[in-house]
Amino acid sequence: MPDWRALVAIAILGLVSFALRAGGFLSVGAVPDDHLMARFLRLAPGNLFVAFVAAGCVEGGWPTVLGSAAALATMVATKKEWAALGAGFAIGALATVIRF
Amino acid sequence: MGMGIRNNTLDSEARFTTNGLRRGMMAATPFILSNGAAGLVMGVAYKGLGLKCATAVLFSTLVYSATAQAVTLGMWSPSPPVGPMIFAILLANARYLLMGAHLRQLFERLPRKMMVPILFLLADASWMMTLSDSERNGPDAGYLLGASIPMAVGWVAGTAVGYAVPMNGGGALAATTALLPVAFVVTLLPSQWRGRSAVMPWVVSAGVAVLAATLFSPNWAMLAGGASGTFLHLIEDQRA
Repeated sequence: MPDWRALVAIAILGLVSFALRAGGFLSVGAVPDDHLMARFLRLAPGNLFVAFVAAGCVEGGWPTVLGSAAALATMVATKKEWAALGAGFAIGALATVIRF
Repeated sequence: MGMGIRNNTLDSEARFTTNGLRRGMMAATPFILSNGAAGLVMGVAYKGLGLKCATAVLFSTLVYSATAQAVTLGMWSPSPPVGPMIFAILLANARYLLMGAHLRQLFERLPRKMMVPILFLLADASWMMTLSDSERNGPDAGYLLGASIPMAVGWVAGTAVGYAVPMNGGGALAATTALLPVAFVVTLLPSQWRGRSAVMPWVVSAGVAVLAATLFSPNWAMLAGGASGTFLHLIEDQRA
């Protein structure tokens, strides 16, 4: 039996995602490049991501901290997402095994 | 060969060609593997959350955003907090508004009924590839669609394949699964770096998030930290 709460949530989130994709195209001209809103749109994601990672590290403890650091270092060095994820998971798993 | 619209005006060479579609698909073919690998990880995470395979595939199809999905993954619960999730997606994917605005400048003359459906598949990489290609070959919406298709196929198929990965076992596997959304977002950080002016805002974002996560909940920690850092970043950006 389908979980309707999950399906409704996914449909709404999908709609929001599509609205963002199409919204910039449809509403161009309303927001100049140097406008406060344009700068907000440019700067907000990075700060949100940092906060997300920091909160995740509080929740996940040292394995998440070490795994995240490894993923970040690998991403900076290689610019390859798959390599960064692999390194992050490997270090995270290793930290968990050592601790357990 | 052109299949549709070609404007003869000098200020807009925008068009949709099958040649562009083919070129885009060829150029983006490697993304089937790279997006597939990332999608697989997302599938494993969704499986860990207890979502059914069809639901997870629907998630990756409709939302189709590593950023949005990673962020909402960390907030998911049996009764999903839709309001905070929407807010998180608006902040995390705000860049799409700017990407869309840039594309409008390239494809101003093409009909919206053609462009809007193509934007359903818009991804960071296909946007960058299209901008680059438009400088060499002129704006071609066929290229945008062609480059977007392999990326979407890799992501959605990868999510489904993730359900084939065995999930039995605790310890390291459980911890690694818990690390998934954070690791995903970590890989996006370098692309968001805006130079030294980002240092203090990012420190504030992290500090407020840690404080809020300790005192309240991780969901609100992300939003409180992100909002604080963004506010400071705007002030620093204004001064620069």
